[in-house]
Amino acid sequence: MNALLTGTGLHRSYGPTPALRGIDIEIGEGEIVAVTGPSGCGKSTLLHCLAGILKVDAGEVRFRDQDIGLWSESARSRLRRTEFGVLFQFGQLVPELTAAENVALPLLLAGSGRREARKSATLWLGRFGVGDLADQLPGRMSGGEQQRCAVARALVTEPKVLFADEPTGALDVLTGEQVLTEIVHVAREQGTSVVLVTHEPKIAAYADREIALRDGVLDPTGLGLGIGS
Amino acid sequence: MRPSTLARLAVAGGRTDVLRMAFTAVSSALAAVVLLSAAAVVAVPELGDPDEGSNAWNQQYGSQLITDPGLRPGVVATLLLLAVPVLFLAGQSIRFGSPARDRRLAAMRLAGATPGQAVLVAAGETAAAALLGSVLGTGAFLVLRLLLDVRSEFGLLLLPTDVLPSPLAFALVLLLVPLLAGLIGAFLLRRVIITPLGVVRRTRSKPPRLWPGVLIIIGVFAPFVIRPLGRLVVRAGNRIGADLSVAAGFALVLLAVVGVIVGTGWLSYTAGRLLHRFGRRPATLLAGRQLMADPWNGSRTLSALLAALVVGAGVLGYRAYMITQFAATDEANRLGGGNAGFGGTTDFYLNSAALAGLAVVAGLIVAAAGIMVALGEGIVSRRRTYAALVAAGVPRRVLGESIAWQTLAPVVPAILAALTVGLSLLRGTGTEVTAGGGGSCAGTEAQCADPNSPYWQMDPVVTMQVPVPFGDLLALGGAAFVLMTLVVGVGLFFLRRSTDLDELRTV
Repeated sequence: MNALLTGTGLHRSYGPTPALRGIDIEIGEGEIVAVTGPSGCGKSTLLHCLAGILKVDAGEVRFRDQDIGLWSESARSRLRRTEFGVLFQFGQLVPELTAAENVALPLLLAGSGRREARKSATLWLGRFGVGDLADQLPGRMSGGEQQRCAVARALVTEPKVLFADEPTGALDVLTGEQVLTEIVHVAREQGTSVVLVTHEPKIAAYADREIALRDGVLDPTGLGLGIGS
Repeated sequence: MRPSTLARLAVAGGRTDVLRMAFTAVSSALAAVVLLSAAAVVAVPELGDPDEGSNAWNQQYGSQLITDPGLRPGVVATLLLLAVPVLFLAGQSIRFGSPARDRRLAAMRLAGATPGQAVLVAAGETAAAALLGSVLGTGAFLVLRLLLDVRSEFGLLLLPTDVLPSPLAFALVLLLVPLLAGLIGAFLLRRVIITPLGVVRRTRSKPPRLWPGVLIIIGVFAPFVIRPLGRLVVRAGNRIGADLSVAAGFALVLLAVVGVIVGTGWLSYTAGRLLHRFGRRPATLLAGRQLMADPWNGSRTLSALLAALVVGAGVLGYRAYMITQFAATDEANRLGGGNAGFGGTTDFYLNSAALAGLAVVAGLIVAAAGIMVALGEGIVSRRRTYAALVAAGVPRRVLGESIAWQTLAPVVPAILAALTVGLSLLRGTGTEVTAGGGGSCAGTEAQCADPNSPYWQMDPVVTMQVPVPFGDLLALGGAAFVLMTLVVGVGLFFLRRSTDLDELRTV
């Protein structure tokens, strides 16, 4: 499988506290990779570095063979807006915008017209089973419905890589599994790579491969949560 | 909770907390200076009853506002009125919620504090900073008193720096400023719910009512209707009807003042609707929706800003009226060779207008600072959403633009409406001045009995149109706009801090 995104010798610290201590990682096209490990092991930091949200202190992150660490903040923002999708556990929908407006936002930022953006947004909301909530504000939706909207927003630009940081962490088990099944289904359909940060074995089991971290390095035991190889 | 525990918790915190405390302290210091200045004017010794005229004047001062015992209560009232929004600002800084403070309050609730105790800690923090501010303000007052103790070439004092406020006044200022700031702060937290899991701000879900908007529209258009209507009635020969129409116009404009001041929620909501309807950019979509979702955020401080503008426009209108009146009088004097009035007293009127203008400028600055607090609070309360948007690739520039739209879209029409209504207040009463027209008779009583007799010497009548002070109004509106632009600038500072990635890592 061709590597779409690679991280080599990644180091990142918060003040004197090291979060990543020399990680090498490779994400193939259309591959779903789970990043697992205990709390505080550097999973989210790794995801943020790979997505260009954080800059690494040492090492390099390459997307399509280009070192994104050399890019400006605005260039990395554009990359996240167009080629990457980002999904968090909570707090990502703008509470004052309707579901359709939230999903349409990345398209509007990319220069689409309002009508066109809304049409695509409604379509994507429909794919995740919340099409009838297009005019609803997030505050009037359940956690599962909100997260489906967030997934639709992350995928509406048809990104090459979806970064999901504990995307089902705030949902009950059943809803979480439903949302994840939908993410995986759409990712497979579109050939989108997924970097999935989780500490739940059940969630990690959706991935093709697992990368286990411990104290900022790859888990030397290689056991992780025990899925994939 | 023991007072020592309360004090310790109140002063705990990080950099933003220090900033909030500094803001509270500076506002309180300003309030203390203003209140002590009022007390100094009160301390000017009374030499007699105001009815005794210049015999009761304290001649050692250069300004008639201080010299005349009949005018001093007005100066004291103006200073006290000015202290109110400054005190409000000190209390309002409690809403400068920093994430660290919110987490601290939530942690206290988690540790078993009641909601009341959490509010008490927050109010205690404000009161502690305000106490520091009132001490500093008292010191600043004493220093300023020495620095401003200068005499003019005629040996007159510019300000009452020769008298000290009473010890009771000092004690009251030192105690009341922190107490009031703490109470106002606690009152302003009534819509904030401090739970063990975090701090939530309740917003009103109902859209604002239409009636303030109707009043504003009436106020803006009333001057265009009332005066022509009055002239029409006069032409029809009905003087009482004309007076009534002017009175009705004046009443309508007063209602419009009420509309401008209580209608800020409606203005924000309507601006939001228009932005959402006609805006084509993501920034306008965000701003429009946010204005519609919470049009009340900062509406009271915006009301204060508009009230200052209404008064400011009224002062400019009054000034233009008086200048025209003096010009007409001078012209009548020149033509008639007599004395049609005013003479050397013009300075008093113009100085009073200048003093009122200074109070308006101070009011504008205080109100703008209040709006800054409300804007900062709004940004900080949305920090997680903003951080997630930036992480998802939304440029900070777009968020900054949305904040600028959100702040300026309701303010620009509001400034125009306030200036129009303020000016209408004065122009409703008259747009022209008349001077001269008196007469003197050089004949005997019998010869002067007939007004048409040649012994009568009539002064010419001079009528002048009062010009609309467009330049001054533009400067006032422009100053308000510049202040609001500065507020946006400070908002962008908060935005940068609020889009920190750490916000995504904390619950």
